[in-house]
Amino acid sequence: MTSPYLSGPDALAGVDALVTDRYLDALLAAAERGASATPADTALDEDLRDASDVIRRSLVRVHPSFRFEERLAGRLADMAQESGPARAGSVIAFRPREAAVPADPLLVAILEGTLDPADADAVARAEGARSLTRPLIVGGALTSAAISLVGVALVAWRASHASTRTARERPDGVLAANGAGGHA
Amino acid sequence: MARAVFGRSEHATPVVVLDRDRRLVETARRDPAQFDALYRKYLPQVYAFALYELANHHAAEDATERTFLRALAALPRFREQARPEDGPEASTFRVWLFRIARNVIANERRTQRRQPAASLDAALGAGLSIADATDVEGGAVLRDEAATALRAVRALPDDRRRAVLLRFVDEMSTAEIAGVLGKSEGAVRVLIHRALGSVARELGASAGRRGGHS
Repeated sequence: MTSPYLSGPDALAGVDALVTDRYLDALLAAAERGASATPADTALDEDLRDASDVIRRSLVRVHPSFRFEERLAGRLADMAQESGPARAGSVIAFRPREAAVPADPLLVAILEGTLDPADADAVARAEGARSLTRPLIVGGALTSAAISLVGVALVAWRASHASTRTARERPDGVLAANGAGGHA
Repeated sequence: MARAVFGRSEHATPVVVLDRDRRLVETARRDPAQFDALYRKYLPQVYAFALYELANHHAAEDATERTFLRALAALPRFREQARPEDGPEASTFRVWLFRIARNVIANERRTQRRQPAASLDAALGAGLSIADATDVEGGAVLRDEAATALRAVRALPDDRRRAVLLRFVDEMSTAEIAGVLGKSEGAVRVLIHRALGSVARELGASAGRRGGHS
């Protein structure tokens, strides 16, 4: 976090900015109440008041399509199922769901806890490094730096169960890798 | 709504301002399937932020999808950092989620720079439905103002634009925006103040042009 104190021109602008901030609080609160009139605040420059009002009216609320919402909800549910507290050796119903967008190549690192998705610098570095990586073959499927979560589960399970039958041999599902502490 | 909790242990009795999403977050941590509640709550906000940033429905959906998948993947490591000064409505989960969204969108914008710029007006389908249908002339002026304002917002430097979008579209407090952008609250206030000045100048110039044509 940066210093809470402003300096130079920012410090001079700080007082005006505070007045603007108060006005915006009132403006947005009025909009929330459904009030048609904008708050009167003679302390704030009229042009800024007008600009604030135009922006408030112009930046309309938008909502994604219902289809998108449900599709993403399904993907999240799949991921939750794969990462949830499944018992080792239990069978997860495998429902292939076609991704509308390419799989996120950083997701594996995030799942592993080696990348914090809220850290701008770390994410930028990872994105930069990703462009230099080569395609990866997992379980016979070519993925260009994108590994499906099922693939991750499969690789993890196979790594810890090298001598047992692989999940690929089971026609109706994959084994849960989460929490698999060596028991099948 | 945030609540104050008074600890009853034999040690200190700290007053902790809770993240208003704490219950939902804890539930989702125990059972990731319950993440759906947080997803439904914040989907419109994240999507709107992405759409205004990227001016493209498909890119916005892509960014929204990545944001929520990353959030679910990282949820076990999310740390609540609510502070009393964040106010009773502050949600550190929301701040954390928007930090993820900001990073996803920043990468998408870098990719977009290699492609032709999209029109936000078109992306919104002239969703500028602010005009009164019975007042054609007045409606045209309002639409023109809105289009000018959108273009002006879109032309702002990154941090100013993000601060304006988070303030107006997602109605975040200054403290929350500061958390998302990693800046002080004072700096955020100045960013927004200067952004409004830029938009006001564009609106003034646009009105001057309209006046010159009439």
